Amino acid sequence: MSTIFLQFLLGVIFLTIVFLHIAKKNFGAAIAYGIQSLAVVLILVNSFLETGTISLLFIILLEFIVKVLLAPIFFIRLIKKNKLKFSVSTYLNTPLTLIVIAVLTAIVHSQKLVPLTGIIMANQELLALALSAIFLSLFLIVNRRGALSQIAGVLSFENSIVAFSVFAGLEQSAALQVGIIFDIIIWLIIAIVFASMLYKHFGSLDVTSMRHLKD
Amino acid sequence: MEITIILASFLAAAVLGLLVKHRSILEATSIAATAIAFIGSIIVAVKVAPPGGYETLSFFSIDSFGAIIMLIIGLIGMAVTVYSVFYLRQEVTKEIIGLGRVRQYFIFLNLFLLAMYLAITASSPIFTWIAIEGTTLSTAFLISFYNKHSAMEAAWKYLIISSVGLLLGFFGTLLYFTSIDSSISNSIVSWQTLAANATQMDPMIAKIAFIFVLIGYGTKVGLAPMHTWLPDAHSKAPAPISALLSGVLLNVAIVTIFRFKIITDMVIGETFSQTLLITFGMLSILIAALIILLQKNYKRLLAYSSVENMGIIAIGFGFGTPGIFAATLHMIYHALIKSTLFLSAGTIFLKYSSTKIAKIQGILTTLPVTGIIFFAGFFAITGAPPFGIFITKISILSAGIKMHPVVSIIAMFLMALLFVGFFKHVTEMLFGEKPEGIKTGEISGWLILPPLALILTALFLSFYIPTFLRTLIDNVVSTY
Repeated sequence: MSTIFLQFLLGVIFLTIVFLHIAKKNFGAAIAYGIQSLAVVLILVNSFLETGTISLLFIILLEFIVKVLLAPIFFIRLIKKNKLKFSVSTYLNTPLTLIVIAVLTAIVHSQKLVPLTGIIMANQELLALALSAIFLSLFLIVNRRGALSQIAGVLSFENSIVAFSVFAGLEQSAALQVGIIFDIIIWLIIAIVFASMLYKHFGSLDVTSMRHLKD
Repeated sequence: MEITIILASFLAAAVLGLLVKHRSILEATSIAATAIAFIGSIIVAVKVAPPGGYETLSFFSIDSFGAIIMLIIGLIGMAVTVYSVFYLRQEVTKEIIGLGRVRQYFIFLNLFLLAMYLAITASSPIFTWIAIEGTTLSTAFLISFYNKHSAMEAAWKYLIISSVGLLLGFFGTLLYFTSIDSSISNSIVSWQTLAANATQMDPMIAKIAFIFVLIGYGTKVGLAPMHTWLPDAHSKAPAPISALLSGVLLNVAIVTIFRFKIITDMVIGETFSQTLLITFGMLSILIAALIILLQKNYKRLLAYSSVENMGIIAIGFGFGTPGIFAATLHMIYHALIKSTLFLSAGTIFLKYSSTKIAKIQGILTTLPVTGIIFFAGFFAITGAPPFGIFITKISILSAGIKMHPVVSIIAMFLMALLFVGFFKHVTEMLFGEKPEGIKTGEISGWLILPPLALILTALFLSFYIPTFLRTLIDNVVSTY
């Protein structure tokens, strides 16, 4: 695959995270995460085409099943079951959120972070975009009030790290990658179960409605 | 071989929990698994002590620090499991929980212990990360065990904060792999391989990586300011689980940080990591000291004490070689005593049905033996003689007094403040008139035995350190 296409895939990851920041409907957020994961899978396919490592095919298949298919399905089922059509808001309003996103992206592209973005100089632009995605995912978890958005934030964070590790040449052995994906799927199931339980307890997935730890 | 047996015994106990419905079988298999693990840990520790390391299969490798933590998991794991059996029986009798919950409890308890053993014995840093993430997943349901609003909130907070922390740690871990040739990184890269290739790492990346690791795993350790989940989770979980979280899990996470410290120090020298450890350590002690004074909940009080003690261990390692021996010993004492305190707190909760300090009075009358154990635990954890923590605190402070006199003096002042805060709350709870309706007398001898065994072990180790344990600690000093 050409560098431009890889840049496009990273752009998709970056933009889906921006979308997750401003999305008002949970359904849109679930689909955005699915698209983002598909972009990660395609990046891994590129890695397979370059290296020819057969075990990577198994990882790609697992990533596809877990992140592109299962995760959005879990999200959508939770949304339908609890009628969570609309997502809750952010701590910062939309213009401020976009300003912070712009600032974070600018910081990543500054000289200060060259040691990270320049791990492989040929991939500097790609690494900068992946690192921006990491920072924006972190900001997403902090800024959104909805439990569902926080789950999407954690999963986007993980997707961004995977993208960064591919372009930085830091991919792990197949055995360890299986272990990581296994962790992710268990985490996803537990987080979805917890979100459902939170809704039963608090009648909302807005984390600001949880105020029982004030003793 | 021993590691495989230990892991298999926990896995078997967890799987049996899924298949068997009889409570007594669940209890017996869980106790048997921890007994096997404890014996296995002693065998491994004795094997590791003289050479300083032990490898078995390509997945596992245990250094001296790992062996010490294995002993801690084994001993406290066994005490907690025995205590859990009788603690949960009481809760079932009181109809606080049903038998289904007991089954869930033992399944997750065994998975939790399994994950901690995996984390500390894994030969690869990535494998360690997977296992530590496993501890988060297995304990989330244990924290929300009572299914109350506050417990759910605490568990959610724990799940999200720990997961974000661990992902930061994962990113930092990956950055350490920049020193490894890509042909090697496709196989399982061990801690030793990372150390062997450390000199090829970019110093700037080493700094950034250590910051990510310290903040990431530091979240799991409960170092301030990433500690916010800890008091909530430790106060809402069942008391035996709080004992494991505070006494064992924090140590597993902090040892992971220290393993990365070795690699970082090889690249950029000791000053950078030591400064960061001292900074985070001092912040943890400061926050604990300020908050303990205002505490209204005795389980949160103990949780903040853990934040303080993790801070002390961090500054001990930050002070370098002279502080490391004392900090390692402090870790052992803290694990034993904090578990004692949480288990005693569980008995107090069973008697008074409250975790609010204001509602607890006259423990020495209502629970005379537990009261004495709790009182001894309080003295021990705050650093009163004859317990070893007195010596380790003094040793850590005297190690720092030459290079960091201001830090040492402030730390000493804060520790004194912590003692006062702790003393105020504990005396309110132990003395005075017992509330009406609370019967006098211990609930069960089996609820006394595990905390008693742990505090006696701490007292014994305060006067005598067995040769193999001393060798292990000496190895830690020379390696870290």
